[in-house]
Amino acid sequence: MKTGVLALQGSFYDHVQSLEFIDQDYVLIKDTSDLSNVNSLILPGGESTSMIKIQKNNNLFSAIKKLIESGIPTLGTCAGLILLAKDVIDGETSLGVLNTVVERNAYGRQNQSFEGLVNLLGNKEMYCFIRAPKILSYEDSVTPIATIENEVVGVIENNIVGLSFHPELTNDKVYLDWLRSFLKDGVNVRSL
Amino acid sequence: MKIESTFKIKKGLAEMLKGGVIMDVVNAEQAVVAEKSGAVAVMALERIPADIRAEGGVARMSSVETIQEVIDSVSIPVMAKARIGHFVEAQMLESLGIDFIDESEVLTPADDKNHIYKHDIKTPFVNGATDIGEACRRIGEGAAMIRTKGEAGTGNVIEAVKHMRSMTDGINKIKTSDQNELMSLAKEIKAPFDVVKEIHELGKLPVVNFAAGGIATPADAALMMQLGCDGVFVGSGIFKSGDPKERAEAIVIATTNYNDPEKLIEVSKNLGEPMVGINIDDLDEAEKLAKRGW
Repeated sequence: MKTGVLALQGSFYDHVQSLEFIDQDYVLIKDTSDLSNVNSLILPGGESTSMIKIQKNNNLFSAIKKLIESGIPTLGTCAGLILLAKDVIDGETSLGVLNTVVERNAYGRQNQSFEGLVNLLGNKEMYCFIRAPKILSYEDSVTPIATIENEVVGVIENNIVGLSFHPELTNDKVYLDWLRSFLKDGVNVRSL
Repeated sequence: MKIESTFKIKKGLAEMLKGGVIMDVVNAEQAVVAEKSGAVAVMALERIPADIRAEGGVARMSSVETIQEVIDSVSIPVMAKARIGHFVEAQMLESLGIDFIDESEVLTPADDKNHIYKHDIKTPFVNGATDIGEACRRIGEGAAMIRTKGEAGTGNVIEAVKHMRSMTDGINKIKTSDQNELMSLAKEIKAPFDVVKEIHELGKLPVVNFAAGGIATPADAALMMQLGCDGVFVGSGIFKSGDPKERAEAIVIATTNYNDPEKLIEVSKNLGEPMVGINIDDLDEAEKLAKRGW
């Protein structure tokens, strides 16, 4: 039972720290050979353009896409959400497994980046939005799980969760409890 | 409720850049090459360090036109350099919508005593440091990211290695000191006590630390990563080489796969000529950029 953390670039060690808090085994993913024995996945924040470029050298994303489509629990934060999205404004579609339209840097540049009070699964917590992507729209098969001022900033579809923000920089108890059960059994264990 | 530009948000952007390569560019064309090669951010400056070194004169913030042109040409974060102590250049960069300001010793300092008080500016700052004391002083002033200085524009990695090792030694010393020793240690390294205490508690710097100054090959980038930095800045090393695009891509792949010699061999093939390097011993003391700032 290992969680694969995409480690091409970005805040992957912050996700590793979250996994250490909940005693979850993990492996850093840089190559297709790192994917064996992985049964849940985390795609971290960072620069999506950079990650997409780096994986082209070993076709890592086609293997990851297959793994996600097999139904394993998958969490993408910020750039991770961009990688998951089926449609990306001002950017490139890569994995394209989550039926949403996402716009890169849609909240503005760094000076407009903010900490905001997010309602995640019914609990309110301050989370970081850093040059964050915006979820513009989503298909009926997608369910919102996080909002800020009535705007959707987190969604789930089957076992795939995409968040505009960075819970791994906060690591509050509600998030960590949710993460533990999500990575173990996917969405079915907890009604959202 | 939304609060912009908290310190957590400032250092959060640096967290997102980790494991990546930040490339010096002097115009929009180079910025596009950098983005396509997988750079996590670009650094806009007037002249690259090797040219500043060769041409001399006063090096200042880039022209407003160049900065706007670079901002408009790429979707990744754009950084720009301001002179040490030149808080008006910093205010202008903040208003231009730059994502990160580098208060840099590569430019000619504007103040021989003081660095900028960085907490008052919304845009996060990265500052150079040669050792832990200097890093602590910059963090005390509000820097949200540190880079070891190295010796910019030389294509020679020795100073970057020296500064990274010195930083690691300094962190280890703080980490392993008894808490009763911390004030005395802070006095010795001329560092703000609060920052020293924070490093003692965290066991590492409270902000991200990249390596800079003299990185010219994929192997140099991997060396700095193995020495424990969070990512690398490459200045003259890319656009002063024979084939900038190939070299930029190779350095990006090397920074991700810094522990994989086979991968490093693969990306190091057919790269063309690296930039011509300079021996540090051939530089006069006055020519050493790392001596600027304190």
